[in-house]
Amino acid sequence: MPLYLPIAELSMNIFVVMGMGAIVGLLSGIFGVGGGFLMTPLLIFAGVPPAVAVATQSNQITAASVSGVLAHWRRQGVDVKMGVVLIVGGAVGAFIGADVFTYLRSLGQVDLMISLAYVVFLGLIGGLMFWESMRAIVRQRRGYVPPRKPREERHKAWIHALPFKMRFRKSKLYISALLPLAIGFFVGFLAAIMGVGGGFVMVPAMIYILGMPTNVVIGTSLLQIIFVTALTTVFHSVNTQTVDIFLATLLLPGAVIGAQIGARVGLKLQAEQLRALLALMVLLVCAKMGLGLIIEPEELYSVADVEEIGGKH
Amino acid sequence: MALLKAIGRAAFLLLLVALPAQALVTDLSHKRIEIRYSFSGAEIILFGAVGSTNIDVRQEDYDVVIVVRGPEAPTVVRRKGKVGAIWVNQDDMRFPSAPGYYAVAASRPLEEIANPVAFASYGIGFNNLPLVADSGQGLMLPDREFRNALFRLRSQQGLYRQEMDEVTVINQGLFRTNVHLPANVPVGEFIVETFIFQHGSMRSRNRISLTVDKEGFERAAYNFAHGYPLFYGITAVIVALGAGWLAGVLGRK
Repeated sequence: MPLYLPIAELSMNIFVVMGMGAIVGLLSGIFGVGGGFLMTPLLIFAGVPPAVAVATQSNQITAASVSGVLAHWRRQGVDVKMGVVLIVGGAVGAFIGADVFTYLRSLGQVDLMISLAYVVFLGLIGGLMFWESMRAIVRQRRGYVPPRKPREERHKAWIHALPFKMRFRKSKLYISALLPLAIGFFVGFLAAIMGVGGGFVMVPAMIYILGMPTNVVIGTSLLQIIFVTALTTVFHSVNTQTVDIFLATLLLPGAVIGAQIGARVGLKLQAEQLRALLALMVLLVCAKMGLGLIIEPEELYSVADVEEIGGKH
Repeated sequence: MALLKAIGRAAFLLLLVALPAQALVTDLSHKRIEIRYSFSGAEIILFGAVGSTNIDVRQEDYDVVIVVRGPEAPTVVRRKGKVGAIWVNQDDMRFPSAPGYYAVAASRPLEEIANPVAFASYGIGFNNLPLVADSGQGLMLPDREFRNALFRLRSQQGLYRQEMDEVTVINQGLFRTNVHLPANVPVGEFIVETFIFQHGSMRSRNRISLTVDKEGFERAAYNFAHGYPLFYGITAVIVALGAGWLAGVLGRK
């Protein structure tokens, strides 16, 4: 059944759209990730203009994160103070990201930027995750248990030297606010240009750089993602009018149901293997995007309406 | 009133006889195409009649050429080039006004109907469209390759259709053709021009219009997004928050 999407200005099969939502939802449920980094490329491969895919995906992630954060809230797994600092950084990052996005769109380089951002970040994160999970699997086989670092040693010396220290009770941290601000900023920027929530960058950063306890990491990052993707949605709506509410809403039911089923499947798999699989998937998307940049395209030319890319009227 | 109508009809018939060159009548099965949620393209039937004029259709064959031109819009064509290891959009050419839709249908292959000069003088065929490019310092003739790329890409999207559709001459003075509008058709005013050729020269022409517009919900959503982008964005967020909350509540059960 074809459905005309008024913002994307194309006709898509409603079942294909909902199916894509379900597949990404299933994977995000299994691996416990947001799925933005899978959905945005999938939408682009399906023929949605990259700019619409990125902006619409922000909208969809807001919805997907709300249901997630509610569950963590009930479990007391949200550090609101840390969340607010991350959101402030994220808001500034998203604002600048959306402006960069609009500017590059007027130059006709936004597709390139999206591809490059995906290749760089997915390659980096996927590579690190793959290496880390492989090491964990090998160590598990050999029965090696790494010694636990005491709490004080988790932070590098330069982190303690930073000014503007703040106390985060829930995370049991006393660190400079500049650190979460910078992380929030960076994630907000990525959210605006890549159409992702940024959990894949924020969660490792919260664990390894901030040293937050793992039980508040996911909930707090989801809180940040809700606000930042909501702001990104508004910025993109104002700048480029590329948010398609209908596309976002259609993706949602499949994504939610898929995530529920996926979460149950994920419980049956081993954590290390799961991470290795996720890393492989990330690297696969990265490779697909990378090949698109390197291989000589069959059609060197592309056509666009100027009004469509002009942004502000 | 009846008398008035009769006079009108008589005047019309008189007109047909007195102005033979205009005795061409065309109409469309739909003069207004509405894009709604289920829109996946449209097919319109154009039919026309050549009146009894100096083109005596009973004795001599004639040819029909129909040109459908969509709304013109500023368009940019970009070309990728290799920078280091990757392919990047490098050069571009801006066309201040290029038709968003352009179709030529004919009853025979164009080269059999008349010589290229005739088509050029009436602007029939993509190559005869007066396209100019914006060089940044005034207008100039566009580069061939960019112009061809525009035609090629828009043809792939089903937006430019040159000699892909046939005009069927049903009998004597009647003819018809199908106008194919793809799902990605631009909205706006379309001009449908019909030319009657005989022995290689144009005998008669007329022009009618066609409107394509988003309707109802689709129009409202588009207007909302472009007219009130801030409120549209906020609405999108509220919808997402509501849907996410609902999903969370339902998922718990």
